[in-house]
Amino acid sequence: MRTFKLRISTPDGDLFSGEAVKITLRGAEGDLAVLKDHIPFVTSVMPGKCVVTLQSGEEKAGKTDGGLLTVSKDIVTLLSGSFTWQ
Amino acid sequence: MSADIKTLRNRIKSVDSTLHLTKAMGLVASSKIRRAQENMKKSREYKDAFESVVASLASSRECENSPYLKTVQDKSTKIIVIAGDRGLAGGYNANVFRLAKEYEDAEFIPIGKRACERFSGELYFAETFSKADALNLSKRLCNEFENGEYSKLGIISTKYVSMMTQEAQIKWILPLVKDENKKDTSILFEPDEITILNTVMSEYVAGFIMAEVKESFASEVAARRCAMDSAGKNAQQMIDDLELSYNRARQGAITQELTEIVAGSNT
Repeated sequence: MRTFKLRISTPDGDLFSGEAVKITLRGAEGDLAVLKDHIPFVTSVMPGKCVVTLQSGEEKAGKTDGGLLTVSKDIVTLLSGSFTWQ
Repeated sequence: MSADIKTLRNRIKSVDSTLHLTKAMGLVASSKIRRAQENMKKSREYKDAFESVVASLASSRECENSPYLKTVQDKSTKIIVIAGDRGLAGGYNANVFRLAKEYEDAEFIPIGKRACERFSGELYFAETFSKADALNLSKRLCNEFENGEYSKLGIISTKYVSMMTQEAQIKWILPLVKDENKKDTSILFEPDEITILNTVMSEYVAGFIMAEVKESFASEVAARRCAMDSAGKNAQQMIDDLELSYNRARQGAITQELTEIVAGSNT
C-alpha cells in the first residue's frame, strides 16, 4: 500500500505525524477520503469522525470539532482546534 | 548602641525572609519555563500553518467580498490584552499596559488576572486559558465583526525573544490583509474560497489567540525568573552590607565595654 505524509496539528501540538494510507473525514461537501497522490486541495472540515488508516492496516479513529484540511503535493495537513483520538 | 544592634538584626531577618521568597518564586518560575516554552512552540506551529492557508485564501479574488477583508476606518476597535495572573515579574505587566495606553479609544478584552483587574471584562486566567475559552471568545468576536459592530481587531501580547528579553507588541488580526504577491492558483478549494474562509475563521482566530496567550505566558515566566534572580542578588547584597554594619556595631560595643572595665579597674 502506498503511503503519504500526514500531519494532524492542533494548538496542543501534533497529534499525528507520519505515514498513512488513507484518511477519511467529513468535508464541507460530504464525506471524503484522501489517498496518496490526491490533487492539491483545501477544504473545511465539519465536526465528526475522522479515520486514519496506517500502513499496517490498523485504523485509528478520532473525533474533530472542525478545522481545515490541506492536501499539497508532499504532505496532507489537518488543522483542527480540537481533535481527540478515540 | 544595643538598640542599634537590635534594629540591624531585625532588618537582616526581614531581608533574609524576602530572599527566601524570591528564591522560591524563581524556582517555581524555572520549573514552569520548559513546559511553557514547549506549549508556545506547539501552538505557534499550529498558528503558522493556519496562517499561511488563510493568507492564500485571503489573497484569492473570490474572497474580496468576504466580510473579513472589509476595511472601515472610522469604526471602533477591539483589542485583546494579554497580561499575567500575578505580579512580581519585572516590567512584564507594566509594558503591556503601557502599550495598551496608546490605544485609548479601543475596547479592551482582557486575558490574565492582572489585565482583568485593570480593564473590566470577563475573568480569564492566562495560565489556564483553554482552547474552549479561546474558541468561545473568537466565535463571539467573529460574529460581531461580521455584523459590522467593530472594524478592527488587535491583540497586545508579549513577544518571547529570549530568556532575558521580552517585548510587548501589538498584532492586528482582523480585517485580513490581502497579500498581492501571493497568488497560488494551483490549489483547488472545495466548495470555494469564501465559504472555507468564513467557516474556518473562528478556528483561525482561536488558534491565533491561543498562540499569543501561550507565548505571553512563556514570556511572563521568563520575566519573573529574571526579576527574581536580580531581586535575590540585591537581597543578598543588602544582607552582606547589613551584616558588616551589624558586626561593626557589635565589635564597637564589646570594645567600649572593655575600655570601661579597664578604666574602672585603674582608678
